[in-house]
Amino acid sequence: MPEHYPNGTVRALLPTDQVTEPTRQALTERLETPPPKPDFFSETEFSLLEAICNRLIPQDKNQPPIDIAGSIDERLVQNKSDGWRYDTMPADGEAYKLGLAGVDETASLLFDSPFQSISDTRQDLVLQQVQQGDAPGEIWKKLPANRFFEELLAEATTNYYSHPLAQEAIGYVGMADVPGWQRIGLNQLEDREPKIIDG
Amino acid sequence: MNNGHRQTKNLGQSLSSHHPLTIIHFTLSIEENMPYSTSETVDAVVIGTGAGGAPLLARLAAAGLKVVALEAGKHWNPTTDFATDEKAQEKLFWTDERLSAGNDPIPFGSNNSGTGVGGSTLHYTAYTPRAQPDDLRIRTDFGVGSNWPIPFDQLEPYYDEVEQFLGVSGPSPYPWGPDRKRRYALGPLPINGAGQLMQRGCEQLGIKTSPAANAALSADYYQEGVGHRKACTNRGFCQAGCTTGAKASMDVTYIPLALHHGAEIRPESFVTQLITDESGKIRDVVYVRNGQEERQRCRFVFLCAGTVETARLLLMNNLANSSGQVGRNVMAHTALQIWGEFDEDVRPYKGIPGALISEDTHRPKHRNGGPIDFAGGYLLQSIGVMPVTYLSQMARARGLWGQELKRAALAYNHVAGINILGDCLPDAGNYLELADEKDSRQMPKPRVYFSNGENEKRMTAHADKIMRDIWDAAGAKNVWAFPRNAHIIGTCRMGKNANTAVVNADGQSFDIPNLYISDNSTFPSALSVNPALTIMALALRTADRFLEQQK
Repeated sequence: MPEHYPNGTVRALLPTDQVTEPTRQALTERLETPPPKPDFFSETEFSLLEAICNRLIPQDKNQPPIDIAGSIDERLVQNKSDGWRYDTMPADGEAYKLGLAGVDETASLLFDSPFQSISDTRQDLVLQQVQQGDAPGEIWKKLPANRFFEELLAEATTNYYSHPLAQEAIGYVGMADVPGWQRIGLNQLEDREPKIIDG
Repeated sequence: MNNGHRQTKNLGQSLSSHHPLTIIHFTLSIEENMPYSTSETVDAVVIGTGAGGAPLLARLAAAGLKVVALEAGKHWNPTTDFATDEKAQEKLFWTDERLSAGNDPIPFGSNNSGTGVGGSTLHYTAYTPRAQPDDLRIRTDFGVGSNWPIPFDQLEPYYDEVEQFLGVSGPSPYPWGPDRKRRYALGPLPINGAGQLMQRGCEQLGIKTSPAANAALSADYYQEGVGHRKACTNRGFCQAGCTTGAKASMDVTYIPLALHHGAEIRPESFVTQLITDESGKIRDVVYVRNGQEERQRCRFVFLCAGTVETARLLLMNNLANSSGQVGRNVMAHTALQIWGEFDEDVRPYKGIPGALISEDTHRPKHRNGGPIDFAGGYLLQSIGVMPVTYLSQMARARGLWGQELKRAALAYNHVAGINILGDCLPDAGNYLELADEKDSRQMPKPRVYFSNGENEKRMTAHADKIMRDIWDAAGAKNVWAFPRNAHIIGTCRMGKNANTAVVNADGQSFDIPNLYISDNSTFPSALSVNPALTIMALALRTADRFLEQQK
């Protein structure tokens, strides 16, 4: 097994008095609430979005899957914004719907099949072309492919690494801050900070 | 021009001995302290309670004026409302959508915006270096940009006052700029891993470093009218809201002081209109609270809504713009970040994020010893970072995904950053306009054009080389750059000439004598330091100049 942090660190800290009540509430809810049912996207669109997110941020096979797409859907249903968008992009909801159709169009042009019917390797090739802004397709003439990819990747990353299980996996325990941090210099760890385990 | 509302006075003192978080008491008193009605004419309405509004509000109230502050955002109680969780804290960001245009579109939301009583100081990093005297005369020294109409010696007493009041922690003596008249209020905060690494790299390159000035308490601190605040616990979450009151956001400093002096603060009050009378003066401020339109009659208006919203409100109301300069001169600091991975455990979530500073590059030399090819300069700052912020900006800048992203994320505990904060010149192509597209309030969204010019590009290239050299010397691997600009500035610049500026040196509109602006929109030049301390100092000066005129 490659280098990794121990399992269960954040989950063990959450019920303790090292975590404030508002922090415990926010993280426990994220840990325990099942992802919302898609409401903004159609079932077909949502399943494509999930397939893309699985390539962007592969799920840890030893852990329950971390929701990415459900939170995107929920945000779009609520018409929430992160406060800005590229002027060259349409409104977030429209950009997502167009972009998903664009990914399928590119997959069909390159491999004669929709995205979800091609191999992982081919899926990655499609996504690389979208990221580089040189994916073929009519839709990308209306929507800058590279910006669509950047926005999707940033939101997927935010959703994934906001999850306590993903934070455990990178050895982050900053939420356990009630005692404060006294050992803050290089190589100085407090007892509650996990050490990485060699492979 | 006075009022009898002094019920909050001395409560902080009496409670503080057995109540570690005096801020709880004062935050409650906002709701208890509503002395004014919309049917009376108050002396002043202050729009916005961030770094530009809060100090001025406290000053006007202390002078006995009847003042009401209108704040678009909520009034938070950090102890019960703030989680140590980045996603939960997105509520501190101004999320009404802005359109970002130009070659280098400016991100908003988590950057360059804020909402709530305290404005964006709720999530500022509290990095509080002073501008240096030559920052204010870039035109004289380099022949580009604009000078400030205020000399440094008129700002300096206000810098000093703000630093003492907030309890800024910093080194004495401070190695750069003119001698300080007083020591910082408190000694510097401890240096975290990122700061130690930058120190190590800079030592080898002969670059002088120092613990930075930060508006977070390195020891417990007491201020009359505010009460006791406890020392910083190094939780490293400044950019997502301080839960302990150690960081000097406005809600635990100038807002309690303003309340102590009888000011009224109305949260969740979104200003939509400024109504003028036949003489051209503003008579009423119209705002929406709880879905209802209300209006407040007043004698003076202080617009402190920040670079974007201040300009947007004036443009929507077609006011104060005979110069045509409202929305022009948008500037954004050069703010390149260089990140690296280190063998050592850094744990970048601990300690004040901006622990270390160097201003050796304030007016840098060229690498080959010759003259520099750009105007102005920048500071260097070590940076710690919260995980979601780090990983999402890394995803954007490096475009990593799949297993590569997971590997880079696994290195989070070993990353440290340096960034610059440098001057930016105004350019005709960088401006704010009202878009046709409407927001949920049916108000036009702001569209902000920004492109780095030749000067910014050269400065950034200079800094890129220096920061990579520092990280190489410190032993970094997998070094990468996050190109960015920070702190949107300009749109209502101050100046001596009514044809080329929106307000005069006192912050007073050339067109509307009872309108003042106090925020980063009035900066004639961007400065080579973080703006918050200067916004606060200028706010106090604006208040004092106004009060003198009223005598």
